[in-house]
Amino acid sequence: MTLHLILNGMPVSCECGPSEPLLEVLHERLNVRSPRRGCDDSYCGACSVLLDGQLVHSCTVLAAAFDGSDVVTAEGLMKDGRLHPVQEAFLRHGATQCGYCTAGFLMAAVAVLNESRTPSPNEIANAMRGNICRCTGYQKIVHAIHDVARQGEGGDFA
Amino acid sequence: MTRVVGQPVIRSDAWRKVTGASYYTVDVTLPAMLVGKLLRSPYAHARIVHMDISRARQVPGVAAVVAGNGRASPWGGHIWDQPVLPADVVRYRGEPLVAVAAESEAAAEEALRLVEVVYEALPSVFDPEQAMEPGAPLLHPQMMEYWRNEAVCRPIPGTNAVNRTRFRVGSVTTGFSEAAAVVEATFTVPGIEHVTLEPTAAVAWWERDDRLTVWTSTQCPFVVRDQLAHVVGLPLHKVRVIVPDVGGGFGGKGNMRIEPYAALLSRECHRPVKMVHSRYEEFVGSTIGHPAKIRIKLGATRDGVLTAIQTTAFYDTGAYGDSGEMVSWQGGLGGAGPYRVPHVAIDSYAVYTNKVPAGAFRGMGWPQMLFAIESAIDMLSARLQIDPVEFRLKNLLENGDRFVTGEVLESVTLRECLLKAREAIDWDAPTPPNRGRGVALVMKSSVNNSTASAVVKIHEDTTVQLVIGAPEIGQGSHSAMAQIAAEILGVAYDAVEVTNPDTAFSPYDRGAISDRTTFHLGQAVYEAATQARQQLLAAAADWLEANPADLEICEGYVMVKGVPARTAPLAAVARRAYRVKGGPIIGEGRHLEEGIVPLDPLTGQSPKAVSHYKYGAQAVEVEVDRELGMVKVLRVVSVHDCGRAINPIQVSGQIEGAVVQGLGLALWEALQFEDGQVMNPSLMDYHVPMAPEIPEIVPILVECPHPHSPFGVKGIGEPGIIGVAPAVANAVSRAVGIRIFDLPLAPERVLRALQATQGRAR
Repeated sequence: MTLHLILNGMPVSCECGPSEPLLEVLHERLNVRSPRRGCDDSYCGACSVLLDGQLVHSCTVLAAAFDGSDVVTAEGLMKDGRLHPVQEAFLRHGATQCGYCTAGFLMAAVAVLNESRTPSPNEIANAMRGNICRCTGYQKIVHAIHDVARQGEGGDFA
Repeated sequence: MTRVVGQPVIRSDAWRKVTGASYYTVDVTLPAMLVGKLLRSPYAHARIVHMDISRARQVPGVAAVVAGNGRASPWGGHIWDQPVLPADVVRYRGEPLVAVAAESEAAAEEALRLVEVVYEALPSVFDPEQAMEPGAPLLHPQMMEYWRNEAVCRPIPGTNAVNRTRFRVGSVTTGFSEAAAVVEATFTVPGIEHVTLEPTAAVAWWERDDRLTVWTSTQCPFVVRDQLAHVVGLPLHKVRVIVPDVGGGFGGKGNMRIEPYAALLSRECHRPVKMVHSRYEEFVGSTIGHPAKIRIKLGATRDGVLTAIQTTAFYDTGAYGDSGEMVSWQGGLGGAGPYRVPHVAIDSYAVYTNKVPAGAFRGMGWPQMLFAIESAIDMLSARLQIDPVEFRLKNLLENGDRFVTGEVLESVTLRECLLKAREAIDWDAPTPPNRGRGVALVMKSSVNNSTASAVVKIHEDTTVQLVIGAPEIGQGSHSAMAQIAAEILGVAYDAVEVTNPDTAFSPYDRGAISDRTTFHLGQAVYEAATQARQQLLAAAADWLEANPADLEICEGYVMVKGVPARTAPLAAVARRAYRVKGGPIIGEGRHLEEGIVPLDPLTGQSPKAVSHYKYGAQAVEVEVDRELGMVKVLRVVSVHDCGRAINPIQVSGQIEGAVVQGLGLALWEALQFEDGQVMNPSLMDYHVPMAPEIPEIVPILVECPHPHSPFGVKGIGEPGIIGVAPAVANAVSRAVGIRIFDLPLAPERVLRALQATQGRAR
C-alpha cells in the first residue's frame, strides 16, 4: 500500500508492507534515523516517537494501520532554526552522553510536558519508565526536563 | 588560572545528538551492501564431527558463507586463545560457527537454517572453582602453546586457570596470630551485561585489491585494526578502521567483536557486509562482566588496626580470555583494598568455563573485589564494635604508604573523600527503624601500558583540527581534549574540532578504556598543542621582531608582553606560516607512561605497577521493607578525586552514570545461567535500572592535582561504579542486621536472610 504521513509537519508518502513496523518505515523508506533500535522487544524506548500526539515505541507499531497520521521525531523538534527548549535544556544540563537513547528521551519529555505543564521530578521520572539510558544515570535528564517545566516553556508539539 | 579548562562547556557532539543528526555505525550504508548473520553453537562444549555448508550456499541471495576457521588465525587480548570460527571444538552456547552474507536478512537466516552440523557433546564445566579442580574438563588443553603477553597473563599449566596474579607481603600466619578478631567469608558477584544502547555493529568492505575498510562501534580502533590485520593476514596499512559516533561501551567494545566475520564474508564476495547484533546476541554472544567468587580472611587488633588479609578470587572468564587475564590482574591489585595491611596474601585467578566469554567491564575487576573487601571490613568493624567510618580512617592508605605491590603511593586522598562522604550522608544522624547508612571506599588502578599520540593542525584561519585516535563513546573526551588544546593554544573552545578516529589518518591511541583518555591522551594533546603554540610564537616572533619567550597569546592576538602596541592577529600569523614557512603549523604529541615494571610473578612486587591510582568514597542511605524484602536506596553520595575537572558537567555525568550501573549491580542486574545458557537474554528479563528507580545522587569532587598529568587530571570514568554495591550491602546490614554475601540484593535473598535472623531470635 501507499502510506501517507505528516512527518515532522511535512506531508510524505511511501510504499509500505502490511507488517512493517513504523521504525522500519522511518529508517528504510523515509530516511529518518533519530528513532533508534536498541532491543528486540519494545523495552528500551530508543525508538520513541509521537504518533498523533501519543508517545509510542515505533518498533512495535504497524505503520500501515496509521495511514494519514501525524509523526514527530527529534528531527522535527527545531522550529525556525532554533532548538526546542527541551533540546536546549539537554545541552545545558549535559543530559546526553553517547546519544543513542537521546531522541527517544526527547520525545518522552515533549509528551510529558504536553500532558502536564508542570510535572514534578518524580512525575518526570515516572514518565521516562519506557526509556533506558545506560550512560547518564537519568538524573541530568530529569533535571533538564524539570528545568523546562519550571520555566513553563515546553511548547506544544502534539 | 585557566580560561577553558575547568569550564562547564557544552560538549561538542551534543547538538547533533539532540537534533537526531548523530551518525553511528548502524547508520553506515554503502552501495551493494549485504547483511551478515551468524550461526551460533547450541552446545556449551562439543566436538564438531561434521559440518556441511553446501546447501546454505545455494540459497538465492546468498553471496558468501564462511565456516571452519575461515582461513583466520586465532586471536585474543593478552592470550591468543580464540578461533574466529572454530573448526574442531565449540566452547560456549552462542559461539559463532558459520557466517553468512546475503541480500536480505531473510535469505541469510534461511541459509543458516540449512547448515548441517553434527556435534559430539563434551563434558562441560560452569563454575570457576570446580573448573580449577583436578579432573575438570579442560577447555584449552593446548593453552600453554598459545601466544601470550607474559607480563599480565600467567596460566597454570594443565588447568583451566588462564591467569594467576599473586601478591605476598609479610606473613599472613604472623598477621593472623596478632589479630584479636578475624572474619572469614565468601562473596559472589554475578555476571552482568554492558547493555550499550547501540548494539555491537560493523560494516566491512574488502576490496578486490585487498584493502579492508571497517566502520565499527568500538572503544579501541587501533586494537581492532591490529587484531583484524592479525587474523586475516593483511599488513596494517591495508586495514583501515573508521569509528563514527559510538553508542556506549563500558568495556564491552574494547576488543574485536563482530568485525572479523564481516571482513571474512566481504573477502569472499568483495561487497560491503553489515552486521548488527540483535539484543539477544548482545547477551549470548558478546562479552559480559565477570562473575566472581571471592574468599576473604581479614584480621585486626582489638583497637581496630588491620594485621592481615588473605584473598582468593576466582574470576569466571568463560570460554576465552578476551580481557579476563587483565581483569583478574587488575582485580588482584585490589585484593587488600585501599588499606594499609602489613601481611598480605592475594591470589587472583581468571578461569575458563563453558560460558559466554567475560571481558572488560567498567571497573575492571575492582567492583567485584571491593564488594568483598568493603563488606568484610564492615563485618570486622562490627565484630570489634568500632564505627565503620572510624575503622576505615584508622586503616586507609595515605600518601607515602606502600601498596600491595610495594610501590610508594602519592596523591592519595581517601581520607578527604571519606570525610566528605561522611558529612554529606549525615552519617551520625539517627535513623528511623529499618533504615541505615553504609559506606565504602573506592580505589581503581589505571591501565599499565598506554600509548597515546595526538596531532594539532592549525588551519589558515587559526581554527584547529585536533586529530586523535580515541573514539567518543559518550564519555565526553572529545570535548575534554578540545578544552586542553584550546587552553594551551589560546583559542576559543569552539575553535577546536576533534575528528572521529580513522586509523588511516589518526595517530595511534590505545583507546577509550580504563579511565585513560583524559590522563594519557590528555598528555599527548597537551604536548601537541604546546608544540603548535611554540611554532605559532616562533612565526610571530619573526614578524614582531621579538624573542618568542616574550610573547603571549591573548584573545586572538599574539602580543609582546607589556607592550600593547606590538601585536599581531593570530590568524595572520597562521596564514603567514603557510606562505613563509611553506606549510601549516602542525604539533605532535606522544605519551607513554615511563617506568612501569611487570609484577614479580611470585610476590606481585613492582616499583611501579600502573600509571596511577584513583581514590574515592561512596555512602548510601537505604530503607528495607521487611515484608517484601525490598531494598530501597534513598540517597547516594559519591565522592571522587578527579585531580582536576576539565569539565565539571562531564565529570558529574560520568559519576552519576557509573553510580546507577553500581545500583544495578547492587540490586537488580544478574545474568542467570543454566548449563551455560543465559536464561534471561532480553531487556525484559534482565533488569537494568530505570528512571523511576533512581534515588538522589550527589556527586562531590575532590580536586587533588596529579603531579604528572595535564592540569593534574586523574581518570573518572570507572570509580563511580565500584563502591555502590558494598555501601548498599553495608547499609542493609546496619538497617536490619543481615549480611548479604551474594549480589544482587534481590528481595528473595533479603527475605531469606531476614527469616534466618528471626529464626535465630526465636
